[in-house]
Amino acid sequence: MSSSTIANDQECQGLDCSKPAKLQCPSCLKLNIPGSFFCSQDCFKKNWPNHKLVHLSVGAGAASDNGTSPTNPFPGFEYTGSLRPKYPLGERRALPPTIARPDYADTGFPLSEAKEKASRSILVMKPDEIEAMRKVGRLAREVLDIGARAIRVGITTDEIDRIIHEACIERDAYPSPLNYHKFPKSCCTSVNEVICHGIPDQRPLEDGDILNIDVTLYHGGFHGDLNETYLVGNVDKRGRELVQNARECLDAALALVKPGALYRDFGQVIDKHARSKGFSVVKTYCGHGIHRYFHCAPDVPHYARNKAVGVLKPGHIFTIEPMINEGTWRDEHWPDNWTAVTADGKRSAQFEHTILVTETGYELLTARLEDSP
Amino acid sequence: MEEIPSLLPIYNAPTLKDEEGDKSLEKIPLTIVTGYLGSGKTTLLNHILSEHHGKRIAVILNEFGASSDIEKRMTVGQGDEQVEEWLELKNGCLCCSVKDSGVKAIENLMQKRGKFDYILLETTGLADPGPIIDIFWMDDDLGSSVYLDAVITVADAKHVLEYLTEAPIDPEDKTPLENGINIATRQIALADLILLNKTDLIDQERRTLVEQELGTINDSASLIRTERSIVPVHKILDIKAFDAEVTTKVLEIHAKDTQSGQLPTNVHTISLSFPKGSSIQRKALEGWLQTFLWEHRLPEDVDSDVEPMVILRSKGIFRDAETDELLGIQGVHELYEITPLPPHPTKGVNWSQGKVVFIGKGLDKGRLVSSLEKATGLSPIQ
Repeated sequence: MSSSTIANDQECQGLDCSKPAKLQCPSCLKLNIPGSFFCSQDCFKKNWPNHKLVHLSVGAGAASDNGTSPTNPFPGFEYTGSLRPKYPLGERRALPPTIARPDYADTGFPLSEAKEKASRSILVMKPDEIEAMRKVGRLAREVLDIGARAIRVGITTDEIDRIIHEACIERDAYPSPLNYHKFPKSCCTSVNEVICHGIPDQRPLEDGDILNIDVTLYHGGFHGDLNETYLVGNVDKRGRELVQNARECLDAALALVKPGALYRDFGQVIDKHARSKGFSVVKTYCGHGIHRYFHCAPDVPHYARNKAVGVLKPGHIFTIEPMINEGTWRDEHWPDNWTAVTADGKRSAQFEHTILVTETGYELLTARLEDSP
Repeated sequence: MEEIPSLLPIYNAPTLKDEEGDKSLEKIPLTIVTGYLGSGKTTLLNHILSEHHGKRIAVILNEFGASSDIEKRMTVGQGDEQVEEWLELKNGCLCCSVKDSGVKAIENLMQKRGKFDYILLETTGLADPGPIIDIFWMDDDLGSSVYLDAVITVADAKHVLEYLTEAPIDPEDKTPLENGINIATRQIALADLILLNKTDLIDQERRTLVEQELGTINDSASLIRTERSIVPVHKILDIKAFDAEVTTKVLEIHAKDTQSGQLPTNVHTISLSFPKGSSIQRKALEGWLQTFLWEHRLPEDVDSDVEPMVILRSKGIFRDAETDELLGIQGVHELYEITPLPPHPTKGVNWSQGKVVFIGKGLDKGRLVSSLEKATGLSPIQ
């Protein structure tokens, strides 16, 4: 069969059905399971209880075939690099009932944020709101630093997640990523080719990895968000340059922050600085407004030539978080629907601050502390 | 709760993983088809799907952008064959992404299913096309495999005036909106092409009135009269309404100075020309435009509590005094883009004259003129 024809000589796999099939199961497609053809969605639905077992059988059985371990949840998936997830992820971590939760903590869907997003206006924070943002920004920094101090060769990202989760609880804060659009963990850990939204799992860190930890806390009704990329053991020269360049990209963008500047202008300097060292800027993910909502207006793209809306004003609070890649800027996703990886499997580094626009410039609400690692 | 995934057509997709090689892949145009309930959108799409044009056209039904929707129905037509399928839309992976899950879903589908030649997206009758345009009018640098070609609004000649006068309501909770703009008016105002359908159901006098009213609201869209939504496909596809080159069409717009319309919508087109041969400081004009589009006010009104102006669509063309470049302006709501025009303009167009066109509510032409003069140092002639 040529690569561009639609096959039409298949038979439906449904029980007692032998109609011609023109459709196939998307999960089987992802898992590289051949022959899962069905005549209709209805027939597929009827057969689902049996059919879904096929997916599981591959998870365990095919492991030896392609050299992956049974802990790899997507054995047939074509990864872009050498990194693999290592499951199981374990139970969702619990929180004491006394900790105030955002609206999505139980449902997984941030309803209030979605409503706010529709209005698209950039809110100016009042002094008491700014004070609350300072507080949560500082707590988020403390928690990130605690996570960073735990980094060593051999520790799993899940263990770092546990440490961060507990540090949040100690500060009477909710770890914002937990159950945000059903994200399963309390922080994002993005190793090597993972651009962002990596899910903490059972993989032990290896000598030479680069690791981004992205932490957001919800405390006193507000979110504070930051991330940094750390070197694990001995990282090669290009890797160190990449991490350094990502840090400098954020600094270059920060230098523009003052009232009257345009949200569309950051991308220009970030792009220029990344290119100067032969790196590229991720385009799919951008910085964002943050206060009562985890993500809200404005959008802050990191790439040049964007149509981002808005002028910076005193009292605006937002993040800048450039993701800088060693190779292509293009991204792909793992089948977990979270982990964003570089399309060529090369490494990606990122730094992020939550920033308040002041009358004369800016204040970093997540500034490094004297003893930050 | 367990979600049963939607089946996909059987297809062995060629992989698109060749490094940056996908630059060579052509971008696929997407046209948004909107129009009030019963205007004839679906009839139009059925015509397009059944006509023999040799294109592989994907029709996406229903409304994009509503964050709670998880799946969208879609029809792919190729010759006589039509396949129905579902787009998988997942909200989870796209937080703080500049690409909407709708765009991503279409891109993913094309990867699995092979490219289409054209995508038609039909909104529901009660949809404001504005947010949908925002989604698909993407930055070039995002490197998406789809681009927005145009917005087509199908209007029911017999009933459109009634719809335009309906009281605006909040799309969420259906409560009346004071000072709002109703959906039918938004659909007309944001159109690049209006199909005035069912013209066989009204007499000529009525038709003249309807066309005059539509022209008052949106004088920058072309209009085609149709019966039973029949129109040659080549007239409605590949319009390239957001291309710099097409911006030159604004020179042909001669919006009525006064509000000739009888409707209480208060949405109308205003066009302002700069003196012939004059060039304008881009920075001055762009700064003015940013305040106008983003603050919904004239710069001199920023700190006052005047009634905000709502700008739905902007277009323009001018020569930059600094670089001597000809530049085109395109805008939808707050989003705008200024791009250089090709050096060899369409024949017969007088390029020496700068011009801006706005479609919006509460636009006061006299105040716009003086505000623009203050910003640019040039007095727009009317």
